[in-house]
Amino acid sequence: MKKAVFFIVGFCFFPVYVFAFSIGKDLPAIHGFWETDYGYKIGHDTTKRDDYNLMEQRLQLKARYYPKEFLADWNSEFFFRGDWTVDEYFSGKTDFDLREMYFSFTPNSLMDVKLGRQILTWGTGDYLFINDMFPKDYVSFFAGRDDEYLKQPSDAVRFSFFPKFASIDFVIIPVFEPDTLPKGDRLSFFDPFQRGIAGTNSDRDLLERPHQASNNEYALRIYRNFGSNEAALYYFHGFDKNPCSYKDELNRQLYYERVDVYGASIRGPFCSGIGNIEVGYVNSREDPDGKNRLIANSMFKALAGYTKDLGNDLKVGFQYYYEQKLDYDNYRDNLLPTDYFWDEYRHLVTNRITKLFKNQTVLVSLFTFYSPSDKDGYFRPMVSYDVTDQLKLTLGANVPWGEDYITEFGQMKRNKNVYVRIRYSF
Amino acid sequence: MLKKFCLSWVFSFVLLGVSFSGYSAGLTVSQIVDKANKVAYYAGQDGMADVHMVITDSQGRKREREFTILRKDVQDGGEQKFYVYFYKPEDVRDMVYMVWKHLGRDDDRWLYLPALDLVRRIAASDKRSSFVGSHFVYEDVSGRGIDEDTHELVSQDDKYYKIKNVPKSKKYVEFAYYYIWIRKDNFMPVKAEYYDSQGKKYRVIEALKVENIQGYPTITEMKASDLNTGGNTVITYNKIQYDINLDDNIFTERFLRKPPLKWIKRK
Repeated sequence: MKKAVFFIVGFCFFPVYVFAFSIGKDLPAIHGFWETDYGYKIGHDTTKRDDYNLMEQRLQLKARYYPKEFLADWNSEFFFRGDWTVDEYFSGKTDFDLREMYFSFTPNSLMDVKLGRQILTWGTGDYLFINDMFPKDYVSFFAGRDDEYLKQPSDAVRFSFFPKFASIDFVIIPVFEPDTLPKGDRLSFFDPFQRGIAGTNSDRDLLERPHQASNNEYALRIYRNFGSNEAALYYFHGFDKNPCSYKDELNRQLYYERVDVYGASIRGPFCSGIGNIEVGYVNSREDPDGKNRLIANSMFKALAGYTKDLGNDLKVGFQYYYEQKLDYDNYRDNLLPTDYFWDEYRHLVTNRITKLFKNQTVLVSLFTFYSPSDKDGYFRPMVSYDVTDQLKLTLGANVPWGEDYITEFGQMKRNKNVYVRIRYSF
Repeated sequence: MLKKFCLSWVFSFVLLGVSFSGYSAGLTVSQIVDKANKVAYYAGQDGMADVHMVITDSQGRKREREFTILRKDVQDGGEQKFYVYFYKPEDVRDMVYMVWKHLGRDDDRWLYLPALDLVRRIAASDKRSSFVGSHFVYEDVSGRGIDEDTHELVSQDDKYYKIKNVPKSKKYVEFAYYYIWIRKDNFMPVKAEYYDSQGKKYRVIEALKVENIQGYPTITEMKASDLNTGGNTVITYNKIQYDINLDDNIFTERFLRKPPLKWIKRK
């Protein structure tokens, strides 16, 4: 056990060694941004604050370095990107968030390797993820931080192979990183233990797996083009990033159950726009026949999307998303009378509309989620203006709503906000 | 199969079609237009350049764009692939834009957003929208389809052919017609004037500097002016190289995620 931890820590800091040894005299250029965000909250709940749910300053620095000696023949590259934050929501708490720190190299013409902390993304959905099982930060998403914060980094090694017939990505993630989800301090959410929408009264215990080889996650993607169409197959072996299963109900312990995900996608030109289809089968390995009421069911997920350029910098996109619990009869038959229960099917449609004005310096966009089956939805309007090449102002809102309080967006309905952001890039 | 082309392709003038034939010193209009197309967009088998763009709006405010562009031809005078790596402005630093230009159908376009590790596919029907907020449009970048206009040689002198181009379909364009001036000595198009349906000139593209690079005539500085608003964009090309044997694989998802360091040294 100790050895494993030692290995993992060593592994994560490997890029630092490379950096420290190779940096030499010439310092790399540093870029980044400074920004300040404020999100005025509309609605009352029992979170820490009633008047706002976002007030912070952030300094992001990034630097890139090409070692002159260490694996220089392999096109090696070191990259660092980190955020320093002052969070007024938590009374001026300062923090450092290492967004990326990796070492990448190309050992031969058919292979790339990326080692260290990195953002990992694949799949074809727009704000919807089926085969992208990498961690996300939904607190940032609902609070109105920039889109880049929806993706959370993973400590991983990514091997990419490029044989003639297809391209292959194979990712090993030795350090489990769950999604960042509302937990009641900043954003309220549905907590079954509190029998409703909970704020700071939520006292769930989320159990994470110990670091050991058997808890490694693996993700595989095989993809290639057929003319202008991109096809991909996916496999993921790891854990749900959302704590959907109960370890110990009495002690309010939830955990991240094991899942395997098998999927496929295709994307390409369609009806003078871009069309995409993605499907996935989620195998809940600890509850294969769905009889255990404490563990999430296996699921089938699918989405179809279409985006079109209408001209004059106006673009629209639509998506339809479908989700089905696969052992629903077993799930329903094993519920207790006091249990909350979810529908067998979930249907969700989304729309994105964006328009640029004034030499593309003004962006106006609206993203809408609407679920007819859950009777809930979420509006994300946004306007941004590039005052100069460096200075950007953003005004937006997060408006989740729902008839019920247990559905995905319905549980977020007391977190509505209007936010502003000023960002200076350098 | 992979033949010559040049670098002014990058942002050079609009491709010319071949439906009208007139005679001029033994050359038909379609021959002039075809030659100009190849000179402007297809010099060398491939090429690269560092591009610096200054966008000036009607109030004199300036914005800058800086990127490296790689280009490779699939067929001379036909399909091409482009790889564009951005350094400026800061909020798009390290983004990569890739185009597979097709003739007769929509181009394939991708955008890579490094902060999200996201490869996004871009719907690209409107080729007359602004390229990165400048006064150049996408079609100025990747070329206008060779059969999309009819062409007429309206005049010529010792130095230039002046050709009038009328779009066959008005549906997708904002102009009614445009004139283009093509140099007689090297067939480089050096000026274009766009007119609206009232016959008013509203847009001008002109070469400010033409140099000979590796034997290919190349526009190294050019300007697009919007006469309606008064804004303009000036592009300067540096470190131009032709026939550099770009690997075809560069124009794939692999190199969106990990740029070809031989050509793109990120700063």
